[in-house]
Amino acid sequence: MSVIWAIIRKDFQMEFRTKESITAMWIFSLLIFVIFNFTFEISRLLLLQISGGLLWVAFIFSGMLGLNRSFQVEKENGNLRGLSLTPADPGLIYFGKFLSTTFFMLIFEALIFPLFIIFYDIQLSLVTLWIIPISILGTLGFTSLGTILSAVAIHTKQQQILLSLLLWPLITPIIIWAVKTTGDVLSGELSAAFQPVMVRMLVFDVIFTTISYLLFEYVVQE
Amino acid sequence: MTKPYKSQSFYVLAGLLLVLIPVSLYMIFQWVPPIKASNPTEATAQRIFYYHVASAWIGFFAFFIVFLGSVLYLWKKERRWENMAVASAEIGTLFMTIVLVTGPIWAKPTWGIWWTWDARLTSSLVLWLIYVAYLFLRRYLPDGTRRANLSAVVGIIGFIDVPLVWFSIRWWETQHPSAVVAGGDGSLAPEMLKTLLFCVGIFTILYLLLMQRRMQIARLEDSINRHYKEWETLS
Repeated sequence: MSVIWAIIRKDFQMEFRTKESITAMWIFSLLIFVIFNFTFEISRLLLLQISGGLLWVAFIFSGMLGLNRSFQVEKENGNLRGLSLTPADPGLIYFGKFLSTTFFMLIFEALIFPLFIIFYDIQLSLVTLWIIPISILGTLGFTSLGTILSAVAIHTKQQQILLSLLLWPLITPIIIWAVKTTGDVLSGELSAAFQPVMVRMLVFDVIFTTISYLLFEYVVQE
Repeated sequence: MTKPYKSQSFYVLAGLLLVLIPVSLYMIFQWVPPIKASNPTEATAQRIFYYHVASAWIGFFAFFIVFLGSVLYLWKKERRWENMAVASAEIGTLFMTIVLVTGPIWAKPTWGIWWTWDARLTSSLVLWLIYVAYLFLRRYLPDGTRRANLSAVVGIIGFIDVPLVWFSIRWWETQHPSAVVAGGDGSLAPEMLKTLLFCVGIFTILYLLLMQRRMQIARLEDSINRHYKEWETLS
C-alpha cells in the first residue's frame, strides 16, 4: 500500500509544481473543440446526437498526452530502472502509476466539462450527474490498458506513435460503451441499455486492471 | 552437418497442398451449384466465400496460437515459444489481410458497396489493427529478452481483448440501423458446406506449412547470431 501511495504522491508533487500535464491536456481539448467547429458545420439537432462522441474524442486525444508523459518522466532520469530494482512488487508500481494517471485525467475531465457545456449549450438536469460515474469507468478502462502499454512503448524510440497503435484498437469496447452512455446522459433520457452497459464497462475495467497487474512484472524486467 | 534446410515434413505438407489446392478450386468453381442470385456476377462472386471464410478461420486460430505462445514463453522462458508466437502473428495477420481483401470483392457485386461498418467487418478490421500493432512493436525493438517479454505481454492482452471487441461492436452495430444488412446465413447447401470444410482443411495445412517454414527461419537466424558471437569472441 505504501508503494502505491509513494508513487502517487511523487507524481502529484511533480504535477502540481509544474502543472504541465493537466494544463496541456486542457488546452489540447479546447483546440479539439475549436477544430471540430470548423471541420464540421453541424446543426443543433445533429450536435445532440454526436456530442457524446465529441466529448470522448477530446478525452482520449488529450489523455494520450498524459499517458505519453506518464513513463517518459520515469525513463528520463533512469527512475524506471531504480523502481524495478526496489524490492517492491512490480504490480504495485503499476497500480501507483495507473492511479496517478487516472486522477490526472479525471481532474482534467472535470475542468474541461464545464467548457463543453458552455460551447455546445448542453441542457443540465439531475441526469447530467451520471456523467461522473461514466467518466470514472471510461477513464479507468482507458488508463488501465494505457498505463501498461505506455510502459511497453517507452522502451522504443517511436514511443508516442507506438502507444497509439497499440492502445486504440484495444480500447474500442470501452469507447463504444462510454460514448453510448454519455450520449444518453447528454440527451437527458437514459435508455434501457444504460445500466447493462455500465456493468460491462466495470467488467472491462476489472479484467484489464487485473491482467495488467499480473503482467507488469514482465514489462519492467531488465 | 546440422539438420537439412528443408525437413521431411515440409515435403509432405507441400506435396499435399500441390494436390489439394487444385481439387479445392474444382470444388469451388465446378462442383458447387451456383447460388440463386439476381445476376450472374453475384453468383460468381459468391464463390470467393470458401477461401474468405477459411482465411478468417485460420486467422482466428493463428491469433490463438500467438496467445498460447506468449503465455508459454512467459512461463517457460524458452526461445521456441517466442518464435512460435511471432510466426503465428505474422501468418495470422496475412490471413486476416486476405479476409479484408476478399470481403469487399464479394461485397461490391452483392451489396453494391465495397465496405460497410457492419459488426463483422468492423471487428475484423480492429482485430487486424491489434496484430499489426504487435508486429510494429517487434519491429521497433532490438532482439533480446526485453522484446520477447514485451511482445508476449501484448500478445496476451490482445487476445483477451478479442471477444470484448467482438461483442461490443456487435452490440453497437445493432443500435444503428445499417444501410445493408449482412443477410442471415440461413442454411448452406450440403455441397457448399462440404466445400467450405474442405477449404478450411487445406488452409490449416497451409498454415502448418507456413509455420514450419517461419520457425525454421527463426532457428536459422538464431544459429547465425550464435555463430557470429562465437566468431567475435574468438577474434
